[in-house]
Amino acid sequence: MSTAEMASDERAVRGTSSPVLGMVLFVASEAMFFAAFFAIYAMSYSSQPSWPPKDVTVPSIGVPSVMTGLIVASSFFLQLGVRAIRRGDGRRLSLWLATTLFLGAAFTALQLYGYSQIEFGIREGIYASLFYIMTGVALAHVAGGVVFLLLVLVRSATGHLTMVRHESAEAAAIYWHFVVVVSVALYVAFYLLASVHPKGP
Amino acid sequence: MGRRGRWRLFAGAGAAAALFLSACARQGATVQGEEIHRLYGIIQGLAAFVFVLVEALLIWSIIRFRKRDEAPPPQVFGSNRALVGFFAFGAVIVAVLFPFGEQTLSHVQRQEPPLVNLRVEAFQWEWTAYYLNEGIFTTGRTLKQPMVMELPVDEPAHIMLVSRDVMHEFFVPDFLFMRNAIPGHPNTFTFTPNKIGTYQAQCAEYCGLWHSRMTFVVKVVSPTDYAAWVKDKTLHAIGGNCSPNGASVHLTAKNTTWSTNCIAIPAGQRLSLTVTNLDDGVDHNFGIWPSIQDAIAKKGQLYQTGRFPGVATRSFDVTATTTLKPGRYYFQCDVHGVAMAGAFIVK
Amino acid sequence: MAVTEARPKPIAPEPYRRRVLEWLTTTDHKKIGILYLVNSFSFFVIAGVMALLMRSELAQPGTQFLSARAYNQVFTEHGTLMIFLFIFPTLAGFGNYFVPLQIGALDMAFPRVNALSFWLLPVGGLTIVSGFVAKGGAAAGGWTSFAPLSEQLGTGEDLWIAGLLLVGAASILGAINFIVTILRMRAPGMSMMRMPIFCWSTLATSLLVVLATPVITAGLIMLFADRHLGTTFFSAAKGGSPLYWQHVFWFFGHPEVYMLILAAWGIVSEILPVFSGKPLFGYRGVVLAFLLITALSFSVWAHHMFATGAVELPFFSITTEMISIPTGVLFFIWLATLWKGKLRFEVPMLFALGFVAMFLIGGIDGVWMAAPAMDFAIHDTYWVVAHFHYVLFGGTVFGIMAGIYYWFPKITGRMLSRRLGLWHFWLQLVGFNLTFFPMHMLGLQGMPRRIADYAPDRGWNTMNLLSTIGAFVIGLSMLIFAVNVILTLRKPRTAPADPWSGNTLEWATTSPPPPHNFDRLPVIGSARPVYDARLAGTVAEGDGT
Repeated sequence: MSTAEMASDERAVRGTSSPVLGMVLFVASEAMFFAAFFAIYAMSYSSQPSWPPKDVTVPSIGVPSVMTGLIVASSFFLQLGVRAIRRGDGRRLSLWLATTLFLGAAFTALQLYGYSQIEFGIREGIYASLFYIMTGVALAHVAGGVVFLLLVLVRSATGHLTMVRHESAEAAAIYWHFVVVVSVALYVAFYLLASVHPKGP
Repeated sequence: MGRRGRWRLFAGAGAAAALFLSACARQGATVQGEEIHRLYGIIQGLAAFVFVLVEALLIWSIIRFRKRDEAPPPQVFGSNRALVGFFAFGAVIVAVLFPFGEQTLSHVQRQEPPLVNLRVEAFQWEWTAYYLNEGIFTTGRTLKQPMVMELPVDEPAHIMLVSRDVMHEFFVPDFLFMRNAIPGHPNTFTFTPNKIGTYQAQCAEYCGLWHSRMTFVVKVVSPTDYAAWVKDKTLHAIGGNCSPNGASVHLTAKNTTWSTNCIAIPAGQRLSLTVTNLDDGVDHNFGIWPSIQDAIAKKGQLYQTGRFPGVATRSFDVTATTTLKPGRYYFQCDVHGVAMAGAFIVK
Repeated sequence: MAVTEARPKPIAPEPYRRRVLEWLTTTDHKKIGILYLVNSFSFFVIAGVMALLMRSELAQPGTQFLSARAYNQVFTEHGTLMIFLFIFPTLAGFGNYFVPLQIGALDMAFPRVNALSFWLLPVGGLTIVSGFVAKGGAAAGGWTSFAPLSEQLGTGEDLWIAGLLLVGAASILGAINFIVTILRMRAPGMSMMRMPIFCWSTLATSLLVVLATPVITAGLIMLFADRHLGTTFFSAAKGGSPLYWQHVFWFFGHPEVYMLILAAWGIVSEILPVFSGKPLFGYRGVVLAFLLITALSFSVWAHHMFATGAVELPFFSITTEMISIPTGVLFFIWLATLWKGKLRFEVPMLFALGFVAMFLIGGIDGVWMAAPAMDFAIHDTYWVVAHFHYVLFGGTVFGIMAGIYYWFPKITGRMLSRRLGLWHFWLQLVGFNLTFFPMHMLGLQGMPRRIADYAPDRGWNTMNLLSTIGAFVIGLSMLIFAVNVILTLRKPRTAPADPWSGNTLEWATTSPPPPHNFDRLPVIGSARPVYDARLAGTVAEGDGT
């Protein structure tokens, strides 16, 4: 074992392991990254007379709602997998990982379908700019999460994860939960708000 | 460190202190500027106090506590009381500074009913000032002449500051004041100049290639001189005179200036127009208006090409000129207005 | 014995190719630390030459040899490279080398990520500099790259964006590494409050990086999208605003300047106690000040935007003035550390004292601008240029030089020449003040910043000339420094483990340390384990007294 792994063993017994702590910090940086976009969203919202702006046709809420529901569900299933490996059950973890991956893929497919249905292009003002860049960047993060979960699935399926040593699963789960939270926030900002409580006359 | 080192230190510290205390802000040639100058004095007092205190303690320590023997110094770890004291010192300074700052700010921001009402437009790389009450304007031309604006002494002047393109900053050092010109976000401020004089000014927000040449001049004059200047501006015509040389014109835009400020074509003919824009990344266009007043009021435009950025050349077939009666019209780049304009004569 | 036994020299030297490959693939924090320092000083030379070019042009009114177009690229690249490729990575390099040593660890928490963090830097830096050979030249928007101007600029700006994205990613990964290392890998007995103060400063810096740097990453992506994808985040047309860029930039930009100073405060807070023979007065106070400043740095950003007329002036004025309070506490703690000590004026101590004297001026300059009404008179003038050079050069660079002279023996096993060090110090001190003090006057006389040239009748000529002379004196001092380093590296490795009679764990191993850092650690019962061991007679006295 490398020296870093030895050190992390020492502390894993009594607290958060290094890889998990590292992932928590990484997620904190990602949260600030998205916060910058949301800040611009908030500033635009308060300075525009209507939101969404008059010339923007907001897509219907059906597909986005299904999509968001799927990815939220994936979080639950993933957490079931994490609890399974904490009991030492690698097989269950693999099962729930595969489920999460399937739901993540479905989310991605629906998002891409959703893009094809949108009536405004990226060049049409601040709302369009925020919409495309924020959902696009979020989708990239979903893709990253999918890759990470796949790697963990490989390790789990080949029996490398145990009750005592499964930090990659814990770390991947933290990342995925974060991605889900961002997806929910985007759902609120770009679909729910427009349907339920738009601003302006 | 030795005696030579010690004297060097003293000399350096003394020079620094002298320089520091000699730095002086300008007096402020406006009512608001004088307030800011007073605030400067207060800050300088606080700063000098802190500076002298800390540097003196530092120099004293260097001289007094030089290691001279092997006995260990007292191993002092600090105390909570000392710490509280250290925090309290700063808190007191801030408690004195902040209210003075706020008071000065409220004086500077106080609105007075203005006599002179200006709309100042900043653009790459000069200024245009429209005097809304008097119906005149004064403009600079990039790299050719700085804008000269005159103001009557002891009268409040109100400026609405806008930008035609990027961020700029209206900065008059003698007024101890500046404000950004932000595209899409007009800024307004009032000031009352109270000293007759000629004040050099320039843009203070980096705005691209000729930022360093985006200068202007503010002349504060007596009310009589001001009235004379306004009258002169009202009578001044733009663009001089010229004669037609066929119906084909090639115009070049460089550094926000046209290659000519007078165009003439024979009556009843289509104008074959070529425009070369040499300003990299900057939009220009070519527009014909009945008169400068119409252009300012944005009414009755006779013709315009689309806007296009440099570096590029476009050709246009202007049929609108066939119906123009002989006379004196006005052309400009609609992006930059009167700063990039001239006479369009149909003979 | 706590000191590590000296290693026998190998009989035959390693083949050159194998040595190069070793440096390219190393994950050892010490080698990576050295790589950081070498990379940083290379960019320091590049950006320093740019400074001399600017000062040469500005020495007299009129265009001498640097056109406005060229000047604008040079000042942009100078600022960008100094901040992102010199100052910050040097502090990170010191952190890489010394944080694991100071906490008694074997390496950083994630050694391979550590290597990646480093190698992204030269790639990012070269990308930024490559703008000079791109069509249209290098980025020319200033290091602050305000919109909408930055949307007008050519390819050089895209290279600038790409380079900064790489450098930003590198620093975020590095910061995560530092935080996990410090929280998880301290040796037994080293509680957080016994950790060297330099480690606290690295921890605080890393927290800032994790929370603030991602914000500029987002901004750079939006800027790129505005330039190439048709979005309108920062253009006034269609609902965007140039002010959004400024908010995003300065929300990052202000914590950024604390990222550039905290570790220097840490270095100075290590050196002053060692060369006073006393502990740091009020270690707790320093830790508290660091944490308060870290937190408060997120609340002051719009003091950079007072002149926009678009921000809440009293709020940002008071937060800005408040952040000066813990900063002032640091000064009193440093003074109290010196008080009644036995001061030894070795070169590291001279630079540390110079830091205190110069950073004081820079700090006071800043508070001058905290009152918005005053700021209206001196914002965007040479006053600001004076201020940030006093804190970044008078502050951080003096702190860096202190760290170099202090830690050079530990890293290389050789002591830098004291004589050349004295020349370096005095020339740097004089040259620095001659360069930047006149800029206060220039600012008060209304000279705006970022101008390639100025008119001869503004009264700015003398100060500009003095400033340029000072810049070349700085250049001379740096030459002497370079000579010192080069000559010293040719000497044999004779430096003792503890040449200065230090306090912290890096002095409990050989100079340089073996690959595994320590054979055995001294008992850690306080914040000064090596001092304690020396007192108890369990470690040989260093040669530094």
